[in-house]
Amino acid sequence: MNFVTKLRFIAAVWLGKTVFWLSRLMGKNGTTLPGALALKLSPQLIGYLARQLPKGTVIVTGTNGKTTTANMLAAIFAKTNLNLTFNQAGANLITGVATAFLNSSDWSGSIKTEMAVLEVDEATVSKVAPQVMPHTVIITNFFRDQLDRYGELDKTVWLVKETVLDNLPKAKLILNADDPLVAQIGVGRTNVVYYGVSANEYGTAQSNQAREARHCSFCGYTYVYDFYHYGQLGIYRCPKCGFKRPAPQVLAEEVGLHDLEGISFKVGATDFYLQHQGFYNVYNALAAIAAAENMGIDDQTIKTALQEFKPQAGRMEQFAVGTNRITLSLVKNPTGLNEVIRAMVQGNKQLDLLIAINDNAADGRDISWLWDVDFELLQGRIDHVICAGTRAEDMAVRLKYAGIATDKLAIIKDLNQALASLTERQHSEQGIYVLPTYTALFPLRDALSKLRSKAYAT
Amino acid sequence: MLLKICHLYPDLLDLYGDRGNIIALERRCYWRGIDVEITRITLGEQLNFKDWDIVFMGGGSDREQSILFQDLHDRAENLAAAINDGLVMLNICGGLQMMGKYYQTADGSKIPGIEILDLWTVAGAKRLIGNVCIELGEAADTGEGEFKLPTLVGFENHSGQTFLGGLKPLGKVVKGFGNNGNDGMEGFVYKNVFGTYLHGPLLPKNPHFADMLLARAIERRWGTVGLAKLDDSLEIEAHQYIVNRLKQT
Repeated sequence: MNFVTKLRFIAAVWLGKTVFWLSRLMGKNGTTLPGALALKLSPQLIGYLARQLPKGTVIVTGTNGKTTTANMLAAIFAKTNLNLTFNQAGANLITGVATAFLNSSDWSGSIKTEMAVLEVDEATVSKVAPQVMPHTVIITNFFRDQLDRYGELDKTVWLVKETVLDNLPKAKLILNADDPLVAQIGVGRTNVVYYGVSANEYGTAQSNQAREARHCSFCGYTYVYDFYHYGQLGIYRCPKCGFKRPAPQVLAEEVGLHDLEGISFKVGATDFYLQHQGFYNVYNALAAIAAAENMGIDDQTIKTALQEFKPQAGRMEQFAVGTNRITLSLVKNPTGLNEVIRAMVQGNKQLDLLIAINDNAADGRDISWLWDVDFELLQGRIDHVICAGTRAEDMAVRLKYAGIATDKLAIIKDLNQALASLTERQHSEQGIYVLPTYTALFPLRDALSKLRSKAYAT
Repeated sequence: MLLKICHLYPDLLDLYGDRGNIIALERRCYWRGIDVEITRITLGEQLNFKDWDIVFMGGGSDREQSILFQDLHDRAENLAAAINDGLVMLNICGGLQMMGKYYQTADGSKIPGIEILDLWTVAGAKRLIGNVCIELGEAADTGEGEFKLPTLVGFENHSGQTFLGGLKPLGKVVKGFGNNGNDGMEGFVYKNVFGTYLHGPLLPKNPHFADMLLARAIERRWGTVGLAKLDDSLEIEAHQYIVNRLKQT
């Protein structure tokens, strides 16, 4: 760093840290603004700070499961008393990453932490990774998500692949073997750890779900699947060029889903247990296990950390309101919502739902993905559905065409009114779920938290 | 009466909930007691377009469109004959582009289309993205009485800018970009073939347009048969919401 660059860097640190404290004083979270301003002064700021970390950086990217995987990994490292830089709030664009580093820096621009665990948006990896030069990159999966923001999925995959190949030849890749779009990134590379799930009772030999990547990344021929877990995840092979699901070094076997009681599975000789619902959380845990094992953490420590790990805000989170148990789960793309539907239907209860679909920028302005979701699976299982949010009408139309009788559908666009109507309904044995898109999540979560504490107080 | 619907390349062209259009056609027939058969046809599978009443082709990524192009090209002559015979067809986004003469990429090279229709597409510098509302033109008249809505609504997301030669547009852009963001035209109509950049998907939220396709397909094979009226209040609510919202911006 020359003198001017150094000066700008220190000024950026001061600016960022000052703005952070000011936004805190004003009652804001300050998860992105400090970073955004500091980057204007010193565009390479993240790199200057990241290079000082004695134990380097781990990046988690992919479409679904980034937040949960990064949180699980952080929980494991917390068991080893490692001091982490961590963009905890899911602020996963470059501004959020910069803010996390600023918070780990002292006023002279020296880093105070030992390692960074960063959740990074797929389209931001190409900006963040060349600066921080991570020693480990976890790629969870690639599904369609907010297409209007990125153009098309192919471009996103290509962008991540190019970054990894061109800028990070030495990084260890932790890849989902069961997703052909992810696994193909590791072909011809030696420093790769693959994770995957063995065939089990929760998947099928047939699938009609919306699937990405039906065609081989290398030769374009149609994949043959011996087994589907969900989406395009499964045990696949290309009959033409021979590309196939790589053998996972970290393999989950004997997976058991126990509804509200959690998930169990086995990796090698170790039994793991999660407090989560939803099969997809097995993948999130496997990614964290693979990365942690690779960095030399023993299985018992990992096991304990995962066992104690609480689901994150709005990821199948439980709220006891009066005698009702309400489950809140963020929905943002077809694969994620299909997995939530599978978990709901598996519970064997009739369902009472609130689905809140917003189309703000952070939700994705295009809601056509609702037609790729298998709402048809809910036929015969619905007692009532309230459709809320800016695109409540579109949601109601989707359910009507999925074969749900219109007298079971209500449109209440306002989120608070919708929630009030849900909680006022008489419930006996139903499964009660609230399923919001991103910008509807926090208002509904706040309202549910208030209802919960009110219920405790009375 | 058995209405036969063909979904072309459903495994490749399904970028924006395209199957919603098939679900809409199927449900609207089911509610009226009309029998339908839906067949998914993809690469290498036998198909004679003359056997079908409605053919649907959606949109895909560049990679997927290039995978299927040769297959579609081999079927072009058979498709053109069926179209001249009055086949009802709906093409959305990539499906629209491939029916034309060519797609000119950013570096100026031309990828040929199947050249059935007088339109061509040029790669644009920015993607045209957002909610759209168009006013239906005469060529796509959805009739009087039951099919009253004068507009179509949907969402567009394309970087290709399409230009029409001798073809009539499907409608006039009220809000959004349309074919190319410049000439105010959206989609095309040729005989019973319709093309548009509106997905969202199109048909569930535009029940009048879905019924127009059904009516034309039925008329072609069985003569005029009035379609039973359905309760479309939910669909119209969804339609009107976006019409009203776009008026305010």
